[in-house]
Amino acid sequence: MPIVIFELPDGTERKVTAASGTVLMQAAVSNGVEGIVAECGGNASCATCHVYVDGRHTELVGPPNEVEDEMLDFTAAERRPTSRLSCQIQISDALDGLVVHVPEEQV
Amino acid sequence: MGRHLLTRYDDIVHAEKLPEVFSSREEGSLLRTVGPNMLREDDPDHRRLRAAAEPPTRPRQVRDLWAGTFERTAHELLDRIADRGEADLIRDFAEPLVAANLALVLLGLRNASADDIAAWSRAMMDGNSNYADDPDIWLRAERATRAIEEAVAEMVDITRREPDGSVISSMVHAPEPMELAEIQNNVKVVIGGGVNEPRDVFGVGAWALLRRPDVLDRVLGDPGLWKRVFEETARWISPIGMYPRQLTQDYEIAGVTLSAGSRVALVIASGNRDEAVFERADEFDVARPHRPHLAFGGGPHFCMGAWVARHEVSALAWPLVFGRLKGLGPTDSAEDRLEGWVFRGLTSLNVTWQAA
Ligand code: FES
Repeated sequence: MPIVIFELPDGTERKVTAASGTVLMQAAVSNGVEGIVAECGGNASCATCHVYVDGRHTELVGPPNEVEDEMLDFTAAERRPTSRLSCQIQISDALDGLVVHVPEEQV
Repeated sequence: MGRHLLTRYDDIVHAEKLPEVFSSREEGSLLRTVGPNMLREDDPDHRRLRAAAEPPTRPRQVRDLWAGTFERTAHELLDRIADRGEADLIRDFAEPLVAANLALVLLGLRNASADDIAAWSRAMMDGNSNYADDPDIWLRAERATRAIEEAVAEMVDITRREPDGSVISSMVHAPEPMELAEIQNNVKVVIGGGVNEPRDVFGVGAWALLRRPDVLDRVLGDPGLWKRVFEETARWISPIGMYPRQLTQDYEIAGVTLSAGSRVALVIASGNRDEAVFERADEFDVARPHRPHLAFGGGPHFCMGAWVARHEVSALAWPLVFGRLKGLGPTDSAEDRLEGWVFRGLTSLNVTWQAA
């Protein structure tokens, strides 16, 4: 199973496994990764599962989809070019080793 | 009430994120007043209805399409009372504002008035909490629901020919469109909740600030704080204090095994004051560390009106009221008019100011 790494605002890393076919937010929530709130449970309606994809992986992960792009304008922490909603990132074997940064704030 | 109460923050969050165990399909008074609707459905049915209704409520739509009209309406309502020097901010401002925004703008019910919407909403909410089974209350609720059905049927016909970006239009033109009866029932739900919830957050937040002049000064000096006032108000006195779920299987939670079919209440009013999560939870504190509150619910049923309410209350209603009505002060403590526990808010908020 792919391993993904969440880097928290204080610099600590959480390394968790993420099953292919699920979404990145799921891996965070089921492993209790702090800072991924995911109020709406993955429906791209709350903007509280925001992450910054590490610069090395932005191309691999790709750009936000249309619905997500709109919601990213309303995140609590500033939007950056690397911003994604983790509930909209589909896990595949290609994402093994993915690093994302958890923002300071989600609400 | 024949229910197990989940009162701790963590247990409520846990239940909200497990809709396949904590099902929304439950018989109850809501079904009697409005009929089958998306609040009482699980996915995939819920997802289809929600996807059809949601697009006009998303934050970019609110900002780009609705905000201008919302603001004009708010100014008109204030123009009407500005010279008077006194008003009930609930009856004279908040309720007509949110009713007009909801009916005329968001839902696209141009064939109804803001007064109609407010009255229909009240009649249905009374029905939803008619635990005493008062026949007059049922009758009023039924009249309101019939009036809504007629108004909706007419607008469905019109928007079928001319899409107008409203929620009704979105329901008609969705990739998986909704049937007329589904549209009618879900519009009833939106009218039921869409008036009292933003109105109550407005009222409670305004009241909290009027009684805390130092906090109000801080907010007026830093308008970015209105957002915090909104989230803290929704946490402190949540407009929806409780909602029901029913177990689809035996399940252990909070150390108790509940059997399949058990009815459960997620007590938001309690979870939002859980001391394990919010320090000094009973205090209204706009500077507290940001933690997500439960007032909008969570999981697939996350409040569809969240972005509309945030905008109309925190970006518009409060800043305009406190900006335009100089020397605003409460005429009494208002405390005794804080009512309800399933739906909680101020029934009136009487204030005075220096009339221009
Ligand atoms: S979980 Fe709500 S937007 Fe991702």
